[in-house]
Amino acid sequence: MKRAIRALTIALGAVLAVSSGPVRAQEAVKIGVIQPLSGPVAASGNYIRMGAEIARDWINAKGGVLGRKVELLIEDNKSDPKEAATAAEKLIVRDKVPVIVGAWGSSMTLAAMPKLEEYGVPMVVETSSAATITKRGNPWIFRISPPSEMEALGLEKYLKDFGIKQADFLAVNTDWGRGAVGAFGDVLKRSGASVGAVEFMDQAATDMNAQITKVKAGTADTLFLTTSVEQITLVLKQAQEQRLARKVITTGGSSAPSQLIKQAGAAAEGTYHILFFLPWFPEAMPDGKLARAFVDEWAKRGHPFDGLTEGFRGHDGVLTAVEGVRIAGKPDPKAVREALWQVSVMGVNGPIKFEKDGPAGKESGQSKPSIFIVQVKDGKIALPAFAAKK
Amino acid sequence: MDQLLQHLLNGLLLGATYSLLGIGLTLVFGLMNVVNFAHGEFYTLGAYAAFAALTLASVGFFLAIPLAIAAGALAGAVCERCLLRPLRGQSIDTVMLVMIGVWIAMQNAELLGWGGVAKSVPTPFPTQPVVLGPASVAPLRIFVFVVSGALILGAHLLLARTKLGRAMRATFQDRETAALMGVSIERIHTVTFAFGAGLAAAAGALLGPVFLLYPSMGDLASLKAFSVVILGGLGNFAGAALGGLVLGVAEELGAGYVSSGYRDAVGFLVIVAVLLLRPSGLFARAERVG
Amino acid sequence: MNGILLTIALAVIATAPAWVWNPYHLHTLIMAGIFAVLALSLNLLLGYTGQLSLGHAAFFGIGAYATGLLTVKLEWSPWLGLLAAIVLPAAAGFVIGRLALKLRGAYFVLLTISFAGCVSLVSVNWMELTNGPLGIPGLPPVEIPLPGLPTLSLRAKSAYYYLVLAAVAVSYLVCLGLIRSRVGRALVALRENETLASSVGIDSTHYLVLAAVISAAMAGFGGGLYAHYTRFVSPEVFLFSYTVTMVIMVVAGGKGTLAGPIVGAVLFTVLPEALRALTSWQWQMLLYGALLVAVLFFMPEGIVPALRAAGPAVRRRGRPS
Repeated sequence: MKRAIRALTIALGAVLAVSSGPVRAQEAVKIGVIQPLSGPVAASGNYIRMGAEIARDWINAKGGVLGRKVELLIEDNKSDPKEAATAAEKLIVRDKVPVIVGAWGSSMTLAAMPKLEEYGVPMVVETSSAATITKRGNPWIFRISPPSEMEALGLEKYLKDFGIKQADFLAVNTDWGRGAVGAFGDVLKRSGASVGAVEFMDQAATDMNAQITKVKAGTADTLFLTTSVEQITLVLKQAQEQRLARKVITTGGSSAPSQLIKQAGAAAEGTYHILFFLPWFPEAMPDGKLARAFVDEWAKRGHPFDGLTEGFRGHDGVLTAVEGVRIAGKPDPKAVREALWQVSVMGVNGPIKFEKDGPAGKESGQSKPSIFIVQVKDGKIALPAFAAKK
Repeated sequence: MDQLLQHLLNGLLLGATYSLLGIGLTLVFGLMNVVNFAHGEFYTLGAYAAFAALTLASVGFFLAIPLAIAAGALAGAVCERCLLRPLRGQSIDTVMLVMIGVWIAMQNAELLGWGGVAKSVPTPFPTQPVVLGPASVAPLRIFVFVVSGALILGAHLLLARTKLGRAMRATFQDRETAALMGVSIERIHTVTFAFGAGLAAAAGALLGPVFLLYPSMGDLASLKAFSVVILGGLGNFAGAALGGLVLGVAEELGAGYVSSGYRDAVGFLVIVAVLLLRPSGLFARAERVG
Repeated sequence: MNGILLTIALAVIATAPAWVWNPYHLHTLIMAGIFAVLALSLNLLLGYTGQLSLGHAAFFGIGAYATGLLTVKLEWSPWLGLLAAIVLPAAAGFVIGRLALKLRGAYFVLLTISFAGCVSLVSVNWMELTNGPLGIPGLPPVEIPLPGLPTLSLRAKSAYYYLVLAAVAVSYLVCLGLIRSRVGRALVALRENETLASSVGIDSTHYLVLAAVISAAMAGFGGGLYAHYTRFVSPEVFLFSYTVTMVIMVVAGGKGTLAGPIVGAVLFTVLPEALRALTSWQWQMLLYGALLVAVLFFMPEGIVPALRAAGPAVRRRGRPS
């Protein structure tokens, strides 16, 4: 009896501790957002959520869309494809969203894609980099992030300035890491450089000393690093410990160099980073004023500065989705899909306009985002000389 | 050859941390028969407690570690008193499931409280590595190695030489007799669990500065801890200490010379091999495992 | 009284697609069904032999990948794929069973964890075979070819619901048949007291291997069902969290009973979705953990045994003394 009372109290307390979710406005236009809000990449997912919220608030401040407020319905995919698919199903069926922004990781996006086709609802892909997402023939996908191939092409014009003769790769063992290794490897080989060691690390790994020791024993002059900022920090610290003297280039845009400098300190000195947003030089972005406003609003909300290099994706994703609803004239998924082809809007990263990608008749939309390179010099972020003058 | 030396050094340093994780769990798993899936969460708690002491209370680095250990031990005592004691007679699976619930709840509470962004712990050590021939190592890691060794030694002495340690060993060998001899069984259970949790917290407080702090950092720690416990033999303290080193070196050499992608497979394969060939652990005297 | 309730319950379950108008809820039920098959399979080992397998996700995953690879790369029929999803994990179960013949308790647990860990790493790293982290998208839907009539596709949710329901029924009957047979009695004898059982001539290894094979086959079948429903297979099927979920369902539902795993599967599939709907994402899993602890406190033997024990007590109280 005592035990039952105790258990009931615990259960009751738990339920009471949760106030039920926000009262849902009846006429708002609902945009679904699926991100990894828990698990190993929770930071990234949350930054994107923060960026999305800024976009929502700005849009609502200007009167919303079609005379109605925009509401974000945010779901956690827990970095699990099954959860991503379930979240998509819930958003589409129960909440009847006309468009979704998500789902960060490529496996999550791929898992949600059959649901998009089943119910006929478009999704704006804001981060995933796997080529197959737009090449599979799913006409409900509209991607504003660059696939690894596009990113590698963005680097190609700087290859001579870097003077790479042989490069090693250390990548996270996911579709993103492997895709980057393939794409950048191809670009290197095309320009006459060679690929040395190719090493991987598990997404949750914290000790990369073995891989670094192996890389150190080789003859390459450059190390390409593709993973999230936490692992980049650890790799750089451990590389410093082993006195690995190489040019380091990180890819994928998740390197949050400010956080890197804070947490890796001198170990980050001299490293290069491929990014899609320059929060240190917002005026250098295609729409300087918008970028500056975004950086200021982010700071005003007390969000960590380090999150800006990823948070903008949330903003641009919601911006694109809402623009699709506006052009469609109604929050109807099929109309929004047609409308997304006509979207031509300026995001924080730059102009967003979709081109056809994939098999004929079932093309997905792919935008061509701006790609930048920065370097850590004297503990600060700088545009490398060769990039600045271009 | 240079590569080998660095690999061995890496392996030993990594292994010491595995040992620290393992000895706490081997006591709880081996002596109390509790499959403590929340072991990694006490590790995480220790790391965040040290971080909180350092950044919120501005406590010195060398004081933060004992504070973290105390926090972990306290959490462990509370957990044992409130959850495990009432469930004492239940089957091992029920208890295991409760610990899984604790694991889920603790990790998500940490996510809620600290957020998902990884935190870096400031340390007073210089980052310039110490050069040992062809290999090099950061001063912080030497410190962690030394302290881990001291903790393992201290724990061993506590178990082997003190009255409390004798009481613990007696309780788990033969409960009734120990009770007859005046040992407070309830107290011993609480103390043992707190001890295990405290050691996990120590590992967290020490490793937090080496790596980074994030809410799911305990998952991998739990898994490695279980591996070490099996390697060394359930309840075998010295076995866990040595087992940790063996696992660390094996993983390091596997990742360095075979394949980095399959790195964790080395650990698994070692476990499978040990289980099939010498299931009571590499370092135990033969005992019945079936 | 009991019989009427059961009939009503069965009628309700059998006609679900008719009155569950929300496809999202139907999706939840389908997932609950798939997990019921998985929970029943784990229960065979855990509830009836007393051995805990914490690598059960491995059999689930092997089944999913078996059918995924065969139907996508070799373009086999999904039915053959499902067959492979039963056979291949069964073979793995046989290997595990024989390997573990001397291990019990915690040692068996760790062997199964290691096995699952290895299989998981292979699925991530062996790109040529499994496509690694990118996974295998585009599994074909299950179809029933009808002679003379257009093929009946089970792609629609309501159709798939019946497939899953049939699978749960078949699994339940297999377990029931097994438990009631000599094999079942031998397993229970082994669980209660292995030394005594061996002394009367029960070959423990033989029966444990048999249990492992059937358990693995059933889990693989669940994996195949899952693969053709979600139509996407990736290394995440080997996530430890799937195994944990299965264990929760069996133990909280009531191990050693046949209704327990099914009740557990339904409850712990519906619960996270209910929490998702009721609370924000920050609280969903925290509450889940707390509720799990509460359920186990209230009913440490599991829900079904607790309800069964409550039955006579309620009846006793209702009767005038």
